[in-house]
Amino acid sequence: MDTLLNVAHGFGVALLPINLLYCFIGVFIGTLVGVLPGIGPISAMSLLLPVTLSGTPESGIIMMAGIYYGSMYGGSTTSILVNIPGEAASVVTCIDGHQMAKQGRAGPALGISAFGSFIAGTFALIALMLVAPRLASIAIAFGPAEYFSLMVLGLVVLTFLTQGSMPKALLMACIGVVLGLIGLDSITAQPRLTFGRMELIDGIGLVPVVMGLFGVAEVLLNTEQAIKRDIINAKITQLLPNKADWQASAGPVARGTLLGFLLGILPGGGAVVASFASYALEKRLSKTPERFGHGAIEGVAGPESANNAAAGGAFIPLMTLGIPPNVVMALLLGAFVIHGLQPGPLLITQNPGLFWGIVASMYIGNVMLLILNLPMIGMWVQLLKLPYNILFPLIILFTILGVYCSSNNVFDVYVMIAFGIIGYFMRKLGYEPAPLVLAFVLGPMLENNLRKSLILSQGDLWTFVQRPISAACLALAMVLLIAPLLPTLRKKRELVALDEGA
Amino acid sequence: MNDQTNVKLRLNNSELWGGLIGLGLGGFVIWQGLKLKLGTINDPGSGYVLFYTGILMCVFAGSIIISAITEGGPTLASRWENAHWRKPLLLIACLIAFSFALEPLGFLLSAIPLMLLLLRLIDPVRWTLAIPVAVLVPLGMWWVLKRLLLIQLPSGLFGIG
Repeated sequence: MDTLLNVAHGFGVALLPINLLYCFIGVFIGTLVGVLPGIGPISAMSLLLPVTLSGTPESGIIMMAGIYYGSMYGGSTTSILVNIPGEAASVVTCIDGHQMAKQGRAGPALGISAFGSFIAGTFALIALMLVAPRLASIAIAFGPAEYFSLMVLGLVVLTFLTQGSMPKALLMACIGVVLGLIGLDSITAQPRLTFGRMELIDGIGLVPVVMGLFGVAEVLLNTEQAIKRDIINAKITQLLPNKADWQASAGPVARGTLLGFLLGILPGGGAVVASFASYALEKRLSKTPERFGHGAIEGVAGPESANNAAAGGAFIPLMTLGIPPNVVMALLLGAFVIHGLQPGPLLITQNPGLFWGIVASMYIGNVMLLILNLPMIGMWVQLLKLPYNILFPLIILFTILGVYCSSNNVFDVYVMIAFGIIGYFMRKLGYEPAPLVLAFVLGPMLENNLRKSLILSQGDLWTFVQRPISAACLALAMVLLIAPLLPTLRKKRELVALDEGA
Repeated sequence: MNDQTNVKLRLNNSELWGGLIGLGLGGFVIWQGLKLKLGTINDPGSGYVLFYTGILMCVFAGSIIISAITEGGPTLASRWENAHWRKPLLLIACLIAFSFALEPLGFLLSAIPLMLLLLRLIDPVRWTLAIPVAVLVPLGMWWVLKRLLLIQLPSGLFGIG
C-alpha cells in the first residue's frame, strides 16, 4: 500500500508540465544521440549537465535519466538500418537486426526492438520500485568497510568485463583513483597533486574528463577510418511484428529482461554486458542456433530487452547505496551532487518526491519513447544521412561549449582537449577508458571510506573480513582477480569481455 | 598477427611502451604519496592511498611489461596500420591551436577558424557549405548562450563575443 501511495506521489511530481517537458527533451535527445554514431549517452549527458542547474533537481535528473534510457531505444535504429551501433549497448543488435533489414524485414526488427525495450523498461521500473526501498533500508546499516569493499568489487567487476588485458584495465582503474584524488584532501584539507595551480585545488572536473575520453577521443578515432554506411533505403512498412515473430520473441524478451535487470544492478555491470550476455544465452538455448547471424528475430528481441532492463536496474545501486555502477550513473551522481543531494540509503526517505518522481518519469518516458520512436523512424533515417565530415566539427564545438558552460572556466577546455588526446592514444594502445572514469568518481569515496574504517577499527585490517557483506564483496573481487589466471576461465572472460561504453 | 607486427624484445613493441609509461606513472605516484606523508595505519595521512595505489600501478605495469617481453605484442606501427593517421594528427593540431587562441582571441574569433579548419582539412567539405556552417553555427551557439542562457563566453583581447 505504501508503495502505491508513493508511486501516486511520484506521478504527481512527474506529471507537472515542466517535468513532462524535461522528460520529453531527455528522451528525444537520448534517441537522437542513440541514433547518431559517434555520440553516446555519456557525451550527451556531460554536455547537458550544466543545463540541469537551471531547473529543479527533479527536472534536471529526469532529463538526464531520459537521455540514458532514450539512447538505448535510439541505438537499435542505427544498428538495424545502418549496421553501425549508435551506442555500445546496441553492438550486438547489428548482427541479426541488420540481416533482417537486408531481407526486407526492417519493420518487424525495429518493432520488436521497440516493444521489447518497452516491456523490459517497464519491468525494470516496477522492480526498481519494489527493490530499491527495501535495499535502502538494509543499506542504512552499511559502514565504511562495507562501502569500501562494495566499491572495490564494482571496480574489479568492471575491469573483469572490460575488453583486453586485465592488468591494463586495473592500471586504468588505479590511474582513475589517482586523478580522483587531485585537489584538497577531504580529511586534512592538504592540497594533493595540484602543482601549485589554483584551478586544481577543487580537483579535476568529471565533465572535461568524460568529454575528453569519450567525446573527443571517439571523434579522433572515427576520423582515421572511413565510416562505411550501408543504409537501408527501402521504405519501411509494417512495424508491428506478426504472430510468429511474437511467438519467437516472447521467451527472449522475458529472459533478456530478467538477465538485464540482474546484470544492471551489479556494480560494474551495465547495458552493454547485458546485451551480449542475452545474445549468448539465446543462441545457446535456441534449437536452431545456425539462424543467429542470419536474421534471427530472437537475436534482436533478447539483447534489446536486456539493455533496457539493465538501464533501469543500474539506478538501484546509485539510488540506494550512492554507488554508481557504471560511467553513465557516475554522471547522474554528478547531477545529484550539483544540486546538493547525496544519493544513498536516506535519499528515499528524505527526498521521496525526488526518488518517486524520477521513477514515475521513467515510466512516462518509456511510453513517450514507444509513441515517438515508431512513427519517427523515417526522420531518424534521414538524420543518419548527415555526412560525418560535417557532423564531427559540430560534435567538437558542442563538447567545447558543454565543458566551458559546466564551469565557466577555460582551464576545463584545456583539460578536455588533453584527455581527448590521451584517450585517443590509450584506445590505440588497447587501454579502455571506462575503468578510469568509474575509478575517478569512486576514488575519493573509496579513499574516504578506507581511511574512516581504519581510523574506526584503530588500524585493524580484519575489520574488512569480519563484517559479512564486506567479506563477501572482497572474496568475490578476489575470485574475479584470480579467474583470468586460470586458462578455462580466461577463455570465458574473453568471450564476454567487451568495450564498456555505457 | 604476423611476425612483422608481433614482436617480443624490440623497442617498437607497443605493449612494452604502454607498460613502461604505466611504471613511470606508478613511480611518480609513489613519490608523491611519500611527499604527502603516509601517516600510520591507525591514522592514515594524505599520501596513504596515493602511495599504495602507486605500488599497485607498478605491479600492474610490471605485469604488462613481463607479458610484452614473454608473449610479445603488436608494433607501434601496426597500431596505425590501414588508418588515416594524418587526420587525427591534424585534428589534434587544430585543437591545440584552438586552446592557445581561445583566451586571447575569444570564443568567436577562435571557434570560426577552428570550424573552418575542421571542415576543410580533415575530410574536405565544399567551400560553399563549409563557410556558412563554420560561421553560422558558432555564431548561433554564441547567441543562444549569451542572449538566452546568459552564459558569458570568453571575449578575448578584442572584446568580441
